[in-house]
Amino acid sequence: MDHSLLMAILLLSPLVGFLINGIRYKNPTANLSGGIATAAVAISFISSLILVADLIGMPAEARKIHVSFFQWMAVDSFKINAAFYIDQISAIMILVITGVGSLIHLFSIGYMHHDKGVTKYFAYLNLFVFNMLILVLGDSLLTMFVGWEGVGLCSYLLIGFWFSDKEKAAAGMKAFITNRVGDAAFLLGMFVLFATFGTLNIQEMNALAPTTAEASWLGAITLGTLFLFIGATGKSAQIPLYVWLPDAMAGPTPVSALIHAATMVTAGVYMIVRLNPLFIVAPNTMMVIAIIGALTAVFAASIGITQWDIKKVLAYSTVSQLGYMFLAVGVGAFGAGMFHLMTHAFFKALMFLGSGSVIHAMHEEQDIRKMGGLKKYMPITHMTFFFGWVAIIGIPPFAGFFSKDEILWMSFHSPLGSPALWVLGAIGAAMTAFYMTRLMCLTFWGKSRVPKSVHPHESPTLMTIPLIVLGILSVVGGWVGIPEVIGHSLGDIPNLLEHWLHPVIKPIPNLTEAEHSMEWMLMGVSVSLATISAFIAYHFYVKSPETPEKIANSIKPLYNLISKKYLVDELYFGTIINPLINGSKRLWMFIDVNFIDKITYVISDLVRGGGGVVRALQTGNLQQYAMLIGIGIVIALSIIIMR
Amino acid sequence: MITDVLMFWFLALVVLGSGLAVILFTNPVYSALSLVMAMVGVAAVFVTLGAYFIAGVQLIVYAGAVMVLFVMVLMLFDLKRETHSFAAGKISGALKLISVGLFAGLVVGGIVMSQGYFVKENEKSLGAASATQSVNTVAGSQTNLNVVNTDNTKVLGTVLFSKHVFGFEALGVLLTVIAVGTVALARSKGGTHAKH
Amino acid sequence: MQSTNFLTEVGLNHYLILSALLFVTGMTGVLLKRNIIVMLMSIELMLNAVNISFVAFSKYLNNVDGQIMVFFVMTIAAAEAAVGLAIAVTIFKRFKEINIKFFEHLRG
Repeated sequence: MDHSLLMAILLLSPLVGFLINGIRYKNPTANLSGGIATAAVAISFISSLILVADLIGMPAEARKIHVSFFQWMAVDSFKINAAFYIDQISAIMILVITGVGSLIHLFSIGYMHHDKGVTKYFAYLNLFVFNMLILVLGDSLLTMFVGWEGVGLCSYLLIGFWFSDKEKAAAGMKAFITNRVGDAAFLLGMFVLFATFGTLNIQEMNALAPTTAEASWLGAITLGTLFLFIGATGKSAQIPLYVWLPDAMAGPTPVSALIHAATMVTAGVYMIVRLNPLFIVAPNTMMVIAIIGALTAVFAASIGITQWDIKKVLAYSTVSQLGYMFLAVGVGAFGAGMFHLMTHAFFKALMFLGSGSVIHAMHEEQDIRKMGGLKKYMPITHMTFFFGWVAIIGIPPFAGFFSKDEILWMSFHSPLGSPALWVLGAIGAAMTAFYMTRLMCLTFWGKSRVPKSVHPHESPTLMTIPLIVLGILSVVGGWVGIPEVIGHSLGDIPNLLEHWLHPVIKPIPNLTEAEHSMEWMLMGVSVSLATISAFIAYHFYVKSPETPEKIANSIKPLYNLISKKYLVDELYFGTIINPLINGSKRLWMFIDVNFIDKITYVISDLVRGGGGVVRALQTGNLQQYAMLIGIGIVIALSIIIMR
Repeated sequence: MITDVLMFWFLALVVLGSGLAVILFTNPVYSALSLVMAMVGVAAVFVTLGAYFIAGVQLIVYAGAVMVLFVMVLMLFDLKRETHSFAAGKISGALKLISVGLFAGLVVGGIVMSQGYFVKENEKSLGAASATQSVNTVAGSQTNLNVVNTDNTKVLGTVLFSKHVFGFEALGVLLTVIAVGTVALARSKGGTHAKH
Repeated sequence: MQSTNFLTEVGLNHYLILSALLFVTGMTGVLLKRNIIVMLMSIELMLNAVNISFVAFSKYLNNVDGQIMVFFVMTIAAAEAAVGLAIAVTIFKRFKEINIKFFEHLRG
């Protein structure tokens, strides 16, 4: 089939789904609405499969499907087309978005079955997929920005989906406003890059990128990419703009899985990978990205250890894993970043859906202190969650091991990386293993602390099928990117992902030949660290449940600080938000009331007074009107004649 | 020729006199009768101008149909002589009279100043050799500018049904609409102010 | 020259001035009379005045189009009279009054 037709189907199918469900938004039948929405995304998935199959059929260097639908705007030399292109990077993304997206849509049918706003929910979800595809496929930064804003909107709508709860509505606003800060920086980045290159087309910019690195901090590319990265910290929840993501768990759990784990929050990483020729020539930006990424990975993981809400733990885990992705792209390992993005999409979507299944079974209970021993009630959920757990803590040969190990190795080995970054990454990995094991133990293992009134049960088939599919993907998903050192010793298994991405990823400058012994050693260290901390966690939370409390008591100030999320929210409120609100209030009380309101009152009074004067002319007396016409004619005639 | 001149002055007197009578009589029935007089006078003026067909139509349509309509409506209302026949208000009345007077003065002045300008233009465009001849006289123009015979009803009909046939058809549509609209209006019970 | 011949030599200007004066008479009626029907009559006067000038131009310019225009004006005048009288009848039915001073519902 024609590529432009396929591309149109790929993009428009979720939009059509959105329109259908949006028009009938009051309809409460979950099966029909969910069926429409799932079918819409599934159609997108099929067309993206066909497109990617075509892409694979092309020669490696020329793999690109570019479709331009119409000219969107043209201002002088600045021309933006509504054009979209698929290359090796976006191919991975569209498969993840539509593939994982349709699984989550399917899961939602079961999860949202009893909600009254279910049709609205599916409409939003489809709109999100549409915007995400625009973000991923857009061939210019501006087109990408349209999707970037669109997914932000859908995220806001879905976080605040149960808006009658004030706290949830506030969480939606927090996400929206925090994203706005990042988006403003994204815009600035676009301005700088446009001023530099005279275009916003991604391919043209990548082609125009200089070959030598830019050393200055204030160079155009460094500045532009830094601004873009700040935009990415907003969307992808990195320090300092990560605060919205944990609160975003107020939304329905499948939304957390789709938007706040698998797809939208990875948009920042994806954007950097797509622009990698620009970022690679700005080593200062790369350094900032790597440091922020590594810090976020450790920082969020440490908060995750102390959380009691099952979704909050996963949320901080997501922030932490996103930190790894940024660490990867920051040290120039764009392929590893994409790889982890993909595997993370599988296992984190799986774990969120699993937690959704648990919450569903526990009748909306999210506190893991009131769970425990759920293994015997929910065998399928437990089994799939188990796969997710081993994948995230990096046990070979599950998906997370390969991607995380590649990131850690590159952060050590790349000339842009350093041993310090590796140490941070390894600590983060150990913490990840600890809190995920803790989550497993408190939820599924150990003694049951479930209240007597609640009777946990396994979720319906509609919800377990996506879990099983994602569970399988979490196991095998990593096998497409087996690093060379392991593949070589197992008999020349190729690193498929690296070969696939090779034509579109700029190599890291000055990369030396890898020492296999060093790589094996670091791999061993990180895996054993993870295993040890997992065992400690198992021991703490299953064997002797009183130990963690003792430890927490012995370091009480630190523990309190961490469990209160390092008081970052309070800091932001104290230093930025409250002064801003107070200042705005003062402006309102002084400037608005005294000047702006007065001006409008004066204008309205003037208009009313003038109207009153003119109104006297409207006597309703027909003959007077005729007289005025007559006078007008006399004046006109005298002007004509006297001239 | 002198009869033509006398005829014109006589008719002008009749038309203006009966026109004034229309607005000066306080009884509307007298006004209507004066209007008939004015209509007939105008028809006679058309005859002096050689527009025989138009004069006939004027008599039939105005003096006949329209006036009958007026008189019938007057009879329907059964009106007596009015006490307040003219609009009140000294200032507005004065203003109205002044504007009317100024208007008359301006138009007449304009006509006199134009000095047969239109006719001259027409002669130029026709390329007539007799441009120097006096064009203000009836005789002069009649004898020398015999390009189109305007008093020929056949010519009038030909032009009406060829060059202006679209306007003619549009008038037909207009009259149909008017007929329907008039009936609808007359049957209505007070328009937007109706009390149900 | 004009003053000596004004009485004896009748031309286009004479007809135009007659037309203008008749028009002004009608206009005065529209402005000053209070009876709606008399106002409608005055409008007829104004239309007739215009017709005179059309016919006069038609004759002195040797162009039959002027008479066609008179034909159109007459038709429209008849239509206007019909509608105007229908409105007058409606008003009379509603208010039992046809004096214009009672109809000031458009007062601002």
